[in-house]
Amino acid sequence: MTGNEIYRDVTKEEFPQECSRLFNGGNGRLRTMFAADLRETGEGFCIYAVFSRAQEDRFEILRLKNIEGKDGAYSFPSITPAVPAAHWYERQIADMFGLVPSGHPDLHPLVLHGLYPPEVYPLRRDISPEAIGRQLALEKEDLSPFMEVKGEGIYEIPVGPVHAGIIEPGHFRFSAVGETIYYLDARLFYTHKGVEKLFERTGFRAGVRLAERVSGVSSFAHSAAYCMALERMSGTLLPARAAAIRTLLLEMERLYNHVGDIGNMCAGTGFAVGYAQGASLKERLMALNERLTGSRYLRGVNAPGGVLADPLDEPAGTLREIEDITKEYKSFISFLTDSVSHVERLENAGVLSRPVALSLGATGVAARASGLNDDIRTTHPHLYYNQLVFETHTRMKGDVFARMMLRADEVECSIAIIRSILHKAKGKRIEGSILSEWEAPANKSGQALGYVEGPRGSVFYFVKSAADGTPLRVKPRAASFCNWPLMPFAVHGNIVPDFPLINKSFNLSYSGSDA
Amino acid sequence: MLGRIFYNIIGKKRVLPREQIVAAAPEALLAGEKENGKEKRIFSGEFTRSVRIRQVDAGSCNACEWECTALTNPVYDIQRFGVDFVASPRHADILLVTGPVSVAMAGALKKTWLATPDPKIVIACGDCAKDGGVYKGSYAVTGGVDKVVPVDAFIPGCPPKPAEIAANIMQIVKVFSKIK
Ligand code: SF4
Repeated sequence: MTGNEIYRDVTKEEFPQECSRLFNGGNGRLRTMFAADLRETGEGFCIYAVFSRAQEDRFEILRLKNIEGKDGAYSFPSITPAVPAAHWYERQIADMFGLVPSGHPDLHPLVLHGLYPPEVYPLRRDISPEAIGRQLALEKEDLSPFMEVKGEGIYEIPVGPVHAGIIEPGHFRFSAVGETIYYLDARLFYTHKGVEKLFERTGFRAGVRLAERVSGVSSFAHSAAYCMALERMSGTLLPARAAAIRTLLLEMERLYNHVGDIGNMCAGTGFAVGYAQGASLKERLMALNERLTGSRYLRGVNAPGGVLADPLDEPAGTLREIEDITKEYKSFISFLTDSVSHVERLENAGVLSRPVALSLGATGVAARASGLNDDIRTTHPHLYYNQLVFETHTRMKGDVFARMMLRADEVECSIAIIRSILHKAKGKRIEGSILSEWEAPANKSGQALGYVEGPRGSVFYFVKSAADGTPLRVKPRAASFCNWPLMPFAVHGNIVPDFPLINKSFNLSYSGSDA
Repeated sequence: MLGRIFYNIIGKKRVLPREQIVAAAPEALLAGEKENGKEKRIFSGEFTRSVRIRQVDAGSCNACEWECTALTNPVYDIQRFGVDFVASPRHADILLVTGPVSVAMAGALKKTWLATPDPKIVIACGDCAKDGGVYKGSYAVTGGVDKVVPVDAFIPGCPPKPAEIAANIMQIVKVFSKIK
């Protein structure tokens, strides 16, 4: 048990019931769910499901251990019927570990695209990466079928994986009636890079570099969550100044993402001036990132035990730049909201309803714009957030406009947080070292969660060390992994030309979700 | 507004030294051997005033993508050098490929390459496009663009900054052209 983490082993019979109770018993959220191959410690294959509630800072971690198998075929009771948010997690577990969720309503390959031999499960510990015989998509076409919608006048539009713009790869199969999208089948995981297996090989400390490269535009959120997990695992105390710096940079990351996203939505409506202004503002923020840390993507800053750069050593200059950017941002946002033709395209487009967001486990902007108050900066205070006074925002309508305005609200909140930290630093109220000693615990009980609220939503990491202090399991859970399954619901009934706009309003990371 | 941005980012105060913009000497950017002891020439002189790029994400972490996107923002505005990104490989002179080429993207990359008319240049952009970078040794990546299609030039960096990508593209085009 580490602070607010409560681990509990449950039996096969209890597992679905307990999960259902935690999820459906009022404000329950499934934070992450994953498997681990603990055969070397005598616990066999395990499934972990991490739940928390909005009103208390406590994580309930249920574990189902020693999953039974007959002739090498393992299965566990699926929780998806009671906890729809587990839908993708269970498919991922089936692909990566060969543990079959029995009773899953829609079980078919998610990650591996049928490009690997059928009996190969990459995350089992006894499989070395070299031994995984794979076929490149070159030699073998992806054969798994798409969901087919039949009926008069229904036709299919295939798009991707290489798209028209400079964006990440994924295949979208629309079933449309005239211009209207009836169903969207999104096949992702084209950018699956086997990061989880790599973590086991790199070692904990070098893993930071990898965490930064799970999703480029959330580099800092990922490395901060990963380092937090490492620190909690070994009981390292994070110096106050390091916590403040991480908080500052998390908000800087949110800021450049949100501003960039607001600008990008203009590309979705063909509003070139708005797009250009947003891109310029984002560029200014990236340049500020570089000046503060030496990296436009805030890389190379986090390390287990603290941070390696000190962006608080010259707060006055940074404050001036932030004030200047704020002024420019304010005129930008009022320009956008005054542009009727732009706003009209956003309103009522891509509506994500609250019940869908809730049951499928939406997180971040997608959740808050649909009326779910879920921001782990306040529900599970971490880093420097409990020293700050701020409020989180929600919007009720769940359309593209709500997502844009929610980002606008959060931009102001981030600016306020950044200013408050800088003012404190200026008044010499955040002093001390920025890095403390960190060492991996050399016992097999070392395990912990790390989490932050990234620009796209909550980012979770689970780490577990082996008896010799090397990583036994590292599980990143990017925000986008939770939000991709929402997309078919948000686009249903919209016209095909609005898809890019709706997609941009979520602006999900493919790489983060595919890992 | 633009004036201020230029002032702040690439204005007098913060002008990037040349060696910082051009991360590598032209020769170092090139992959493979020279043709008949001479440098490869692909483009005729006029071509260099208008090159079209098709960007392909072959499994990148998306930082390289966003830096490529930044090239078209008002600060870098790469179009003013006659360089632009196009939607179809059939319109492209250059394939700018990012990412370590994941197993699932290998086929799509190959097809895109086949759809690009000759003469064409393939640039591997970013450290992981070169040899897999941080993803080297993973079961799910092929470990570099040149494992799937022939590569003509590399742009180093993780990610390379937009100014570096822009300067290196111009440099590469020059090396591959008859123009001096
Ligand atoms: S080179 Fe670096 S920044 Fe670019 S895609 Fe690869 S890992 Fe990401």
